[in-house]
Amino acid sequence: MIGLSVISLTNAQVGQLAAQFLLAGAGTLSFAILFACPKRTLPCCALVGAVGWLVYEFLVLCGWEAFAASLLAVIPLTLLARLCAIFLKCPVTVFLLSGIFPLVPGAGIYYTAYYFIQGDNALALSNGISTFKIAVALAIGIALVLGLPLPRFSKK
Amino acid sequence: MNSRELYPDDEQRRRIMDFIMAAGETLLQNGAEVFRVQQTMEIMARSFHLREFHVYVLTNGIFASAGTAEISEVRNVPVRVTHLGRVAAVNELSRQIAAGGMTLAEAESRLAEAQRIPFPRDHVQLLAGLSGAFCFAMIFGGTLRSGLAAAAAGFIANGYLLICERHSVPGGFKTISTAALITLCCLVGCHLLGVEASHAIIGTLMILTPGIAFTMGIRDFVQKDYLSGTIRMIDALLVAASIAIGTGLVLSLYTALTGVIAV
Repeated sequence: MIGLSVISLTNAQVGQLAAQFLLAGAGTLSFAILFACPKRTLPCCALVGAVGWLVYEFLVLCGWEAFAASLLAVIPLTLLARLCAIFLKCPVTVFLLSGIFPLVPGAGIYYTAYYFIQGDNALALSNGISTFKIAVALAIGIALVLGLPLPRFSKK
Repeated sequence: MNSRELYPDDEQRRRIMDFIMAAGETLLQNGAEVFRVQQTMEIMARSFHLREFHVYVLTNGIFASAGTAEISEVRNVPVRVTHLGRVAAVNELSRQIAAGGMTLAEAESRLAEAQRIPFPRDHVQLLAGLSGAFCFAMIFGGTLRSGLAAAAAGFIANGYLLICERHSVPGGFKTISTAALITLCCLVGCHLLGVEASHAIIGTLMILTPGIAFTMGIRDFVQKDYLSGTIRMIDALLVAASIAIGTGLVLSLYTALTGVIAV
């Protein structure tokens, strides 16, 4: 794969990744507050979102396509969300909904609809297909990790 | 009277049923996924010894019966908000009920408490909109200046959304007008600061983008609730189309007035 050859990052790239990590965390935190997540879960929500976006950014920096990067980023994200759910005894939805916000192809959905309405069918279609691919990647990733047998908090 | 008796009488069973329906409705209304609503209701029914409890949950409705269908109830849940705090509270309640020791009266008052958990205060929501828009504008490749323009737009947009909620403005119009407002604010802000508007617009639109409907749709599909998943996905598509209409309107007006193609 391409990615493995670019393990060594320059200082500027590391700085950029760190900035993206913090921004994604703060952005996720804002949305977690808007969704009225319980206060004690807020730091974990931010962490989940930041980790997902960090992995995505790193893979994109390494030259991966958005589809593959989304798929690989959503796996640690969902895993972390499940771990948080177990340790904080809270539904996994709380962490997943807010944490996945940076990865959801909001811009893609928007551009697809925008070009569709503007009548530019070719651009609408190409945007729509790439958005759909990312959506499928997210769905596969979530399904994979949610299907993993982890020790559940006992519900009897 | 012991509320956890093994064979509850008729009146008792009706009360348990009402409680379970109310719990399910609270979950569904505040953004829990179909699978969780169904599972929680079944766990509660088992814990309170309500026999032959069957429930079918859709994104916008709950159908349930108990006994040999002599109790059956339907709830229509047309309006959904996202308040994950309430979801978490009801979930916690269900876990405690399953662990045993909680009476029905106690559970009912706990549920009423969970339903009354307030939304974050207005200024907190405004600040969250501000910082969310700022962060996402920067994440999507904007400069500090476009981030600032997005922050202002996010603040205004969330204020407008709060006003819309007070006056219960219908959803479609709300989304279209908010998208138009966001685009307008970003265009003006970015013009004043002298940067390109596209990053600020996309970042601020994250407030509106149907991320929740989309993610929940996926989760419903994963749990094989195909009908509910489809409802969510159509919801997401309609919201996206509304956003595009609002934004497209302002952008084409801008182009027509100034002759400059923005974005």
